[in-house]
Amino acid sequence: MKKFNITVNGVSYEVEVEEIKDGASPAPRPAVTSAPAPVAKPAAKPAAKPAPKSAAAAPAGATNVDSPMPGNIWKVLVKEGEEVQEGQVLIILEAMKMENEIVAPSAGVVATIHVSEGASVNGGDILVSLK
Amino acid sequence: MTINKLEDLRQRKEKILLGGGEKRIASQHEKGKLTARERISLLFDEGTFVELDAFIKHRCVNFGMEKVDAPGEGVVTGYGQVDGRLVYAYAQDFTVVGGSLGEMHAKKICKVQDMALKMGAPIIGLNDSGGARIQEGVDALSGYGHIFYRNTISSGVIPQITAIMGPCAGGAVYSPALTDFIFMVDKTSQMFITGPQVIKTVTGEEVSAEELGGAMTHNKISGVAHFVSANDEACIAEIRRLISFLPSNNMETSPIFETDDDINKILPELDEIVPENPNKPYDMKNIIQHIADDGDFMEVQQYYAQNMITGYIRINGQTVGVIANQPKVLAGCLDINASDKAGRFIRTCDCFNIPVLNIVDVPGFLPGTTQEYGGIIRHGAKMLYAYSEATVPKITLIVRKAYGGAYIGMCNKELGSDIVLAWPTAEIAVMGPEGAANIIFKNDISNSDDPQTTRAEKIADYKSEFATPYKAAERGFVDDVIEPSSTRPRLVDALNMLASKQETRPPKKHGNVPL
Repeated sequence: MKKFNITVNGVSYEVEVEEIKDGASPAPRPAVTSAPAPVAKPAAKPAAKPAPKSAAAAPAGATNVDSPMPGNIWKVLVKEGEEVQEGQVLIILEAMKMENEIVAPSAGVVATIHVSEGASVNGGDILVSLK
Repeated sequence: MTINKLEDLRQRKEKILLGGGEKRIASQHEKGKLTARERISLLFDEGTFVELDAFIKHRCVNFGMEKVDAPGEGVVTGYGQVDGRLVYAYAQDFTVVGGSLGEMHAKKICKVQDMALKMGAPIIGLNDSGGARIQEGVDALSGYGHIFYRNTISSGVIPQITAIMGPCAGGAVYSPALTDFIFMVDKTSQMFITGPQVIKTVTGEEVSAEELGGAMTHNKISGVAHFVSANDEACIAEIRRLISFLPSNNMETSPIFETDDDINKILPELDEIVPENPNKPYDMKNIIQHIADDGDFMEVQQYYAQNMITGYIRINGQTVGVIANQPKVLAGCLDINASDKAGRFIRTCDCFNIPVLNIVDVPGFLPGTTQEYGGIIRHGAKMLYAYSEATVPKITLIVRKAYGGAYIGMCNKELGSDIVLAWPTAEIAVMGPEGAANIIFKNDISNSDDPQTTRAEKIADYKSEFATPYKAAERGFVDDVIEPSSTRPRLVDALNMLASKQETRPPKKHGNVPL
């Protein structure tokens, strides 16, 4: 049994996931704090999937866009699932009294946005993951 | 002379010209690489290359080396002309014993190094070598030592340019590192001290050769290289272009390239280029290209520390080194890498009598523990040192922010800038309005019934009073406030006026630049 914190559309869910070996009977026991989490469907396949959604780690094989310096997230200009072009502005980071445009290093789809507007970030923090 | 002796000479030369033989040449081509001789012929003006020491042979008798024939000793050396100017070169020949460096291979290189220094002409090294010739043992190491020593003695006297066009590992990397500029060819060149195998054994890290020491690694992450090219042809074309910006030695000035681009050109675009809102970024390269003759800008270290732009332009045909903040990246602030990049570039310009133009839009130094622990104090000092030490004409153009220590770091009047020009958009002050108002008007703000409004008022007061070029101009720290559109003619004029600049420094062995 593994526990995960999952944030979906800004709402936090605590989810327990059990890996089901072949032949073992499914044991669906979603331990949910506020609402049923979509990932905890009964009889789910070996449930490694939700792990990458946890806040810190990014999906494997994704391109992470890091914050180049400490500052505040002023605007988030894209949504998860949105297709972006190389060089497209994803986020405006207010730092050093400048509205710094954080752009996509390559074309892709926004997998995860790790920050929200108004949040303060450090240099090196992951802002957005593209896949 | 008997026909036989002539025939013998021709045959000997023919064999040397073939290097490691057709099979190895084909394999070189398969890798997307040109041979040493093909590179040499692209580098020099047609028919001007004169080869030296083609007959040199190694003296190694260890490990069966006595049976190994190495035509040309794995390196082609000589001199020729680039745009009609004398240039020396050596090109390592990977088809001959992997271009490995032994005693005599090194001797060939040292000979052209010595000649280039004596004659005051640039030297170009085209590297493509498996490294030290192990069979030759300490003789090979001695060879590297001789080359490094000459690199150092020639430094600041003649331009030294290296292109990495194949492997370059271990001690071999230090000759390039001691030269003024390193070019790398994308995908076919790698530089590292210890290779992926050693790294895996020692630290367990798994990394590919390309990832570890490829062209983009050194152009973007380490800052070891200055240029990246798509292939050998492009690389050599860029080397020729770079030479056009440089003088042949430290006693000369760069060649003048006559231009049809009007020197009195008024550029109304420049009046609009800096955004009204000081918090908005813009691309500094636009300003540089507008000012340059025909918009021609050869950027140096384009991918490294992009918050600082360095490179060469011509103004009225004369080479000028540009050092400029890039507001688009990291807000254009100074950090460790930007300081290193600019410090090195300024010193390269000063060595070779190239005037510097500093275009300033700098909000300050990047805050953070990474910077402080990394020694930003020591690194930032390099810029101050390099600017103060430089005796070439120094022109500073302040287009927007010039705050605090970073304003000094970008060469203000006191560091010896000969002409400081400012646009009306310039904000020259000890710190930004918000920070300054918070400190100066601390009591007014905290005692106010409405601190928010008072704070905003005080910031606005400070802005209109101090975030301008006029306070600095009142003290003579700024020579003139100019209309942006008139920048090009003003720079042409300043460079003309400064052409006869003479400045001497007290006699010394050498200064102690913070490293």
